[in-house]
Amino acid sequence: MLSKIKSYALNGLEGYSVTAEVDIHSGLPGFDVVGLPDTAVKESRERVRSAIKNSGYDFPPRKITVNLAPAYTKKEGPIFDLAIALGLLVATEQAGVDERRSPLPCVCDYVFLGELSLSGAVTRINGVMPMLIAAREHGVKKVVIPQANISEARYIRGIDVYAVSSLREAVDIINGATPSPIDKAALSLESHPHASEDLKYVKGQFSAKRALEIAAAGGHNIIMIGSPGGGKTMLAKCLPGILPDMTEEEVMETTKIHSVAGILDDDSGVVTERPFRSPHHTSSRIALTGGGSSARPGEVSYAHNGVLFLDELPEYPRSVLEILRQPLEDGVITVSRVSRSVEYPANFMLVASMNPCPCGYYGSAMHQCTCSPSQINKYMSRISGPLLDRIDIHIEVDEVGYDDLTSTMETESSADVRKRVNAARAVQTARFAGTDVHSNSQMTSSMIKRYCALDGKSEAILQAAFDKLGLSARAYTRVLKVARTIADLAGAENIEAQHILEAVRYRSLDKAVK
Amino acid sequence: MMLVSDLYLWLSYSRVSTSRINRILEKIPITVLWESFAESDDFNKYSLDEKTFTLLKRSRNVDFIERTKQYLADNHICYMTRVDPMFPPALSQREVDPPLVLYYKGRPEILREPCIAVVGTRRASQYGRYFVQREVSELARSFTVVSGLAAGIDGYAHSAALSVGGNTVAVLGSGLFNPSPVSNIPLFDEICKNGIVLSEYPPDVHATAYTFPQRNRIISGLCKGVLVVEAAEKSGSLITANCALEQGRDVFAVPGDVDKPRSVGTNRLIKQGAVPVTCAADITEYYGMRSRKAERQKAVALDFAEEQIMSLLEKSEMSFDMLVEKSGMTVPELNTALSSLMIYGLIHEKSKNLYCISK
Repeated sequence: MLSKIKSYALNGLEGYSVTAEVDIHSGLPGFDVVGLPDTAVKESRERVRSAIKNSGYDFPPRKITVNLAPAYTKKEGPIFDLAIALGLLVATEQAGVDERRSPLPCVCDYVFLGELSLSGAVTRINGVMPMLIAAREHGVKKVVIPQANISEARYIRGIDVYAVSSLREAVDIINGATPSPIDKAALSLESHPHASEDLKYVKGQFSAKRALEIAAAGGHNIIMIGSPGGGKTMLAKCLPGILPDMTEEEVMETTKIHSVAGILDDDSGVVTERPFRSPHHTSSRIALTGGGSSARPGEVSYAHNGVLFLDELPEYPRSVLEILRQPLEDGVITVSRVSRSVEYPANFMLVASMNPCPCGYYGSAMHQCTCSPSQINKYMSRISGPLLDRIDIHIEVDEVGYDDLTSTMETESSADVRKRVNAARAVQTARFAGTDVHSNSQMTSSMIKRYCALDGKSEAILQAAFDKLGLSARAYTRVLKVARTIADLAGAENIEAQHILEAVRYRSLDKAVK
Repeated sequence: MMLVSDLYLWLSYSRVSTSRINRILEKIPITVLWESFAESDDFNKYSLDEKTFTLLKRSRNVDFIERTKQYLADNHICYMTRVDPMFPPALSQREVDPPLVLYYKGRPEILREPCIAVVGTRRASQYGRYFVQREVSELARSFTVVSGLAAGIDGYAHSAALSVGGNTVAVLGSGLFNPSPVSNIPLFDEICKNGIVLSEYPPDVHATAYTFPQRNRIISGLCKGVLVVEAAEKSGSLITANCALEQGRDVFAVPGDVDKPRSVGTNRLIKQGAVPVTCAADITEYYGMRSRKAERQKAVALDFAEEQIMSLLEKSEMSFDMLVEKSGMTVPELNTALSSLMIYGLIHEKSKNLYCISK
């Protein structure tokens, strides 16, 4: 007899319906899975066999063929275990059939997602959230998921979700039991950032702290240049504590990616804090951008709506850095492989740090630099102009002297800074309502023209600043965007002279290049 | 009949060192030398050693000289010999060990302006770099700036002069076809257009360890004085300073931190009697010239915050963090005030994150 059980699969972040067809026929005993299964799917034969046996059902010694339709897409992972096992039980008439041995109608009502353990327990899978969202869009009403995935499913409205923890519970469902769907919860956007460092413990570095505040408020990419021991890494680690709250839309987008990648927090089930990813400089290109034969997302996508922190930027291979140009420009990254091409969102704020020269002490007041000019040039040229063009804020982070370390001057805590950042971001959200743009850093040229208009006095000051401070032409729109954020932080309607004057201070690399 | 200038071309291409030829020419006029090589094979006649004789003999060829002239013309290389009216008189002095021929590209007329050499280490620190960018651009309004196109201070000096539309002379230690370092080739091209690049070596000659010290005597020889910006204990720029002393030129030095290796050379020059220089006006006033500032600084009305910073910086130079603590201003206020003071030209960043008053 032939049975059909519905399940779902993922292509990138897009879910699509898969039907597990199980047929039992005469012949030498065997168990085949067809429909472009990968290794994990092929291995599901062994899991299904044991799970059925250990749940108290019979595994028939006959010729079994499983087809995962549509047969032309590659199937990955253990998602289909549950659907295959149920299909087998229906096909062998051990479950889900009426007295006349025809399948019950409820068998076709549900979509089953879940991995089986040998004991018959249903275990956690990746990517439940995007699959549920896709299923809802396709008009599916009922989905059965592993108990362990409840937390991320709670926030998807408009679809009934049932949780099972064992194969037996799933069998009850296809036998016609009426289970109760899991309770939905309202998404709580209140976040409790747990940054590993707090700004109040950073001594000195007032200029850098202010620059971080501006960067967080406007989502500006930022690069910190300074000698070793200046606290660049510590400053970056403070950043999660001052990033603005996420909007509901942002939470959903980021959670989807983390769900696919299997890096979701089990308890909360959703990402309510902006991700802070700091891949090491030995990371491969694919780890950063995503890829592999299955075109998985990479670090740039994990950092979607959050921060990608690249410590010691020139240490990253040039090929890796150049790939960042597309996501920095478009907010998405396209991963193309022979079998498929997937687009992942990758709208992150780039935070980078670097030394001014290979030895680290060029321009230092306390140490003597031992690098030759050609070494310094070579070091600086590892970062290409086009990449630097996409970084709005450059700041120099100085070594901290003993006086600073012992200074008793009160400094603000991250929580205080965060309040201002949130207020400034709220202004931006209202300004860009109805567009794809979330923050000042993403403004298009027409928006810059509209929202960054300067009066005559400010225009004259900007002109003077370019002449006297040696800024390059490419700095122009960057300065305007940053000035807009400074004005937002100050609660000003229009960009004023003082905002421009502050913004031009964050272009130190321009001067160096000159 | 050969022109006298052609004869100098002969000597320049002979590969005999300039100092040796100068010694010979003190005894024998150049025309006599030319003629005598035609008739005799006796190198003892003018007490020449055998090697010098062979070299001179080999290149003594009218055809060769004609071809060389054509070659230079084809490649747009100009040259002036010692007898050329354009030849800088300062270089003809005996102490300079005058070059036979100067090959050049660019505008030779700027050599007639008063010249100042600006030299220093190739591994410049930010202190030296900022000084050159600020003060040499000022100096270039009154002087032609001469330097050696090397990386570091030399390159910054040329750029500073060009940035204000001033005149600049680059003296190479190689032929004009082989400028080095590669990173300064764009600068080389710019100086060819707006200044002058010159060399005593024929265009195809490659630089060697000996050519650079040799060319230093031309740098100092062209100038009234030599300004050494940064120099380590053993530095090529100190050779230039020594040449300047031997030639009776003035030596100026920018004082530096006493415990920085890159200041040891300049500080020692000052101890030995060089004129310490802290700004461009020190040099212009030394020569009794009025410093030609492009624009007179207008008196600007400062607001309260700016006044406060000026009064703090008058006491001592300060870092950003110190200014925050001492002034009690917020960071945005301070940023704004620093920017406007820098735009007014009242303060500058002396080295990274260290602000001081501009004199």
